[in-house]
Amino acid sequence: MESATQDHPATTPSPPPPVSDPAPTGPAPTARVRLSEQVRRFATWMSHWSIEQRVLAGFGLVFLGILVISVMSYRNTAVVVKNSRLDTASHELIQLLGSIEEALVAAESGHRRYLVTGDDSYLKAYRGIMEQMPEFSRYLHALAGTSPEQRERVIQLEQLITQQLEIETNAIRERDTRGAEAVRQLALPGVAKRELDNIHRLIADFETTEQQATGARVLQSAGTTRSTIALLALGAMLQLVLLGSVYYLIHHDITNRRRVAAELRRQGELLQAANKELEAFSYSVSHDLRAPLRHIDGYAALLSKAAGQALDEKAQRYLQTISDSAKQMGQLIDDLLVFSRMGRQEMLRTTVNLNQLIKAVIQDLRLDLQGRTISWRIGTLPDVPGDPAMLRQVFMNLLTNALKFTATRQNGQIEIGAKREVPGEVIVFVRDNGVGFDMQYVHKLFGVFQRLHRNDEFEGTGIGLANVRRIVHRHGGRTWAEGALDQGATFYVALPLKRTSS
Amino acid sequence: MTPVKPILLAEDNPRDAELALAAMEEHHIADKVVVCHDGAEVLDYLYCRGSFKSRQWGNPVVVFLDLKMPKVDGIEVLRTIKNDANLKPIPVVMLTSSREERDLAQSYALGANAYVVKPVEFQQFISAVKELGVFWGVINEPPPEGS
Repeated sequence: MESATQDHPATTPSPPPPVSDPAPTGPAPTARVRLSEQVRRFATWMSHWSIEQRVLAGFGLVFLGILVISVMSYRNTAVVVKNSRLDTASHELIQLLGSIEEALVAAESGHRRYLVTGDDSYLKAYRGIMEQMPEFSRYLHALAGTSPEQRERVIQLEQLITQQLEIETNAIRERDTRGAEAVRQLALPGVAKRELDNIHRLIADFETTEQQATGARVLQSAGTTRSTIALLALGAMLQLVLLGSVYYLIHHDITNRRRVAAELRRQGELLQAANKELEAFSYSVSHDLRAPLRHIDGYAALLSKAAGQALDEKAQRYLQTISDSAKQMGQLIDDLLVFSRMGRQEMLRTTVNLNQLIKAVIQDLRLDLQGRTISWRIGTLPDVPGDPAMLRQVFMNLLTNALKFTATRQNGQIEIGAKREVPGEVIVFVRDNGVGFDMQYVHKLFGVFQRLHRNDEFEGTGIGLANVRRIVHRHGGRTWAEGALDQGATFYVALPLKRTSS
Repeated sequence: MTPVKPILLAEDNPRDAELALAAMEEHHIADKVVVCHDGAEVLDYLYCRGSFKSRQWGNPVVVFLDLKMPKVDGIEVLRTIKNDANLKPIPVVMLTSSREERDLAQSYALGANAYVVKPVEFQQFISAVKELGVFWGVINEPPPEGS
């Protein structure tokens, strides 16, 4: 279809390209160059169209072509039909003229015989034509058509016939009143012979003209019939193109859909298998990895208890380190399991009141403040769609961080607020005046087990912000942070205000 | 005085078993503990068969059941206990490393009386096991025999 559409500009300049210069008229080579330039520019212009637009344009052109062909064929056919009607009329006219001439000849010779013999039966033809003349006259007018030349001839013919018949009538009357001798010199040469010759010539002209017209019409009909056949063939071809294109498009579409569906199914199966494996893995981690840690800590404690007195301070410290390390690894494993669960867990979809949620989180955290005073500034927050427990985890982590990293400050300040920059999205931020971070490490902040501080400065496993990011992503949102060393940090969470699938 | 009813500890890992015993030792209830190393052994004990053919008849005061065990796993043992009219009254406490929701849900669905996740930290582990032992072995009144 694409190529068909692209071919069109060369033949049909129907959809006007922006380059609508008048048709090139210069010498042939220049014209060709300009034409190809136009085609090229048109193709470039077309390439910005979407596939749907191209398909539509192609179909539009083909439809237009079929429409034009239909109209032209109809008009051609109308011409042929009209010609054939005119031909019939010409034919009838010629026949009529023949009949009239025959009748006139019969009447003329009959009246002459009557003049000689006085036998009334010879006037039969004469009486017949006298009777039929008005009828003939009506037919003549009807069949002569609209040509002025032929109309003129009809009138002339009528006059001649009237004249002829009048002469004959006079001759007959003369014979009746004055006897055969009186009309003797009339009867022999025939009084109306001259008029009859005129009539004969006129009719011949009449016929010639009609035959010429018929000939012209036959030529015209043949021409239009040929062009009609050509047009119909073109139309059929266009329809074939249309049909072929439709078939191609549908076939292409169906094949594509099948392929995509199969691919999706395969990916889904792979994903399911991967998920199962991951589940088995974390289950195994949860079960088996923790046991040895428990043993390390446990036996270290038992050893410390059994040999407590005999061990010097150094050995005691070693035992303590063993035990601390085991605990820390236990914590890491637990955090990792939570992180892994966060990704797999089914999400609830309700509306979460962030104001209440933040209040509840701060209430929970007050216990950990241990006498520190924090000045909280809490703005008005909107309701967002999401999973309450997960979003609680997000703000719990962010506020725990804010508290943790302001621990060294005399006056800890934490601000929570919301702003809207893009429609359909709210940005919630948590700002603190804590130790901050160097912006060159900002990309590491949300990574799993990524930490910007040593453990003896600030405790933590480096999973909190990774969880924040994972949850916010599952809600269809974004996270980022800004900060400077020793000048506090701001964490941003952009959440969609409309439900999205995760 | 009625004979002391034992605490049955099903634990395949000997170190975990030793640590648990050490914890119970602190409260002097370790001598009441019978340790089984897999699910099949637990069932042998409960039905007085195999190596427990000659044991004193009677149900333990409580069963501490690990989930992951060789031969017959904890869930299977739990199902057998709770489907047997004679064993059903025995309190069963799941004592396991797993925090998985699936395990929790399945255990409670089958009729577990409690579910305790073993803490990594030894002090916490000790206090957990101790409290469990004291609660189920001393404080809690077991169901009457033959009920």
